Amino acid sequence: MNARPATLSATGIHKSYGSFQVLKGASLTVERGDVVTLIGASGSGKSTFLRCMNLLELPQEGTLVAGRHSFAFGKGQKAPNDAALAPLRRDVGMVFQHFNLFPHMTALRNIMEGPLQVNGMTPAEAAELGRDLLAKVGLADKADAFPAKLSGGQKQRVAIARALAMKPDVMLFDEVTSALDPELVGEVLNVVRNLAVEGMTMILVTHEMAFAADVSHRVGFMNDGVLAEIGPAEEIFRRPQHPRLVSFLERFNRPAG
Amino acid sequence: MYVWDFSALGPYWGLIGQGLGITVLYTVTTVVAGLVVGLVIGIARTAGPRWLSPPLRAFIEIFRCTPLLVQLVWMYYALPVLIGVDMSASMACFITLSLYAGSFYAEIFRGGIEAVDRGQWEAGRAIGMRQGRIFRRIVLPQAIQVMIPSFINQTILQLKNTSLVSVVAVGDLLYQGTVITAASYRPLEVYTVIALVYFVVLFPLTLVADRVEQKMGAHR
Ligand SMILES: Nc1ncnc2c1ncn2[C@@H]1O[C@H](COP(=O)(O)OP(=O)(O)OP(=O)(O)O)[C@@H](O)[C@H]1O
Ligand SMILES: [Mg+2]
Repeated sequence: MNARPATLSATGIHKSYGSFQVLKGASLTVERGDVVTLIGASGSGKSTFLRCMNLLELPQEGTLVAGRHSFAFGKGQKAPNDAALAPLRRDVGMVFQHFNLFPHMTALRNIMEGPLQVNGMTPAEAAELGRDLLAKVGLADKADAFPAKLSGGQKQRVAIARALAMKPDVMLFDEVTSALDPELVGEVLNVVRNLAVEGMTMILVTHEMAFAADVSHRVGFMNDGVLAEIGPAEEIFRRPQHPRLVSFLERFNRPAG
Repeated sequence: MYVWDFSALGPYWGLIGQGLGITVLYTVTTVVAGLVVGLVIGIARTAGPRWLSPPLRAFIEIFRCTPLLVQLVWMYYALPVLIGVDMSASMACFITLSLYAGSFYAEIFRGGIEAVDRGQWEAGRAIGMRQGRIFRRIVLPQAIQVMIPSFINQTILQLKNTSLVSVVAVGDLLYQGTVITAASYRPLEVYTVIALVYFVVLFPLTLVADRVEQKMGAHR
């Protein structure tokens, strides 16, 4: 059948908070090396969908397959426990809008924490890996800096390095530049762009349309709790089909002022 | 004019020292026991099953909303009637002071744990850490930083509160003061000295609390 197995596949994901339905059967499959961007109006469920892909949110219905991990949700299914979820999250990394660095640890320690505590690396190995990753995100000189002493862009780059330290198969990015001052956005997007070039499998939520067009292989449009349309970036931006996607893009293309 | 005469206390310094020893002993043991009680209740209320929280809350509020003196007297005179077992005054004091401290520490712990951003738990989960490890490695160190000033303040209160054990004739600093007064007829000198001894022990602690509070700002 398929020569390249799907790296991550979320199917028919339903998620409600109380009686409020956020996801109504959202589905997405990404192959190894894919870079997929999710766009859509605020409140359309992009973050929720993304958080269902490493099960930070547990859906009420649907299935999630990521590499060798497989979860099914629905009536008669037992909710997975902490012990079952942890291995999934080792292989599916996530970077957050607000960085969520550990403030009581230096940049290097932040990156070493996962390898040390979860992967059982020795301190020497973890430190070497940490320094390599800091160099990769352009922060070799910040190893001993505490997060409070870093700029937003630097914090986010450390957070990306922290996620990379787990050597994940897939990386999830939830609006990783929207908490940043405009002049710091570029340095973070560059790091993400380099990861894309290296072939990292990534799913991104972003409002940076130009970046989405530039870096993604495919773009998906979230609307009303489902992935309403998905296709090559070219197609989505040049020939959008869904009427809501058309009007959504018009708002971005309208000249400023 | 009243003529001060501290030399009248001459024969009693030993007793004052003994009393201070008992006060410090009660403070240290009930702070330690109270911390254990507080940590267990604090964790149970934040991370334990939901049904456990209301009874623990009730327990905490009973100790926080009744006077410690009433609790001591109740534990010493009333509880034995209920359970039919006599309790020594020192045991009643130890238990009451520990539970009292524990109920305050529990709230300090809970406040400290809840003050840690939810995103910290998520960041830990996102790198594959289990709940217990996130708590120990990520949340607790940050919670403790938040808690230290309230913790020191509560401990200072605890040392002062031990003076209530004198009511059930446990020989702490204040109790010895009463004894010495009865023998020397010098209440003014005796209680002034007792107050000074408390002050000399506690004042440095408040300085430490201030220093810690200032230093905590460093990495934030
Ligand atoms: N924990 C929660 N409890 C209740 N409602 C929630 C919760 N998380 C999200 N929601 C709601 O679900 C809806 C979708 O939220 P979500 O964050 O997924 O949207 P989004 O597409 O990421 O929006 P944005 O572009 O603003 O980030 C919103 O209406 C939000 O208020
Ligand atoms: Mg969002």
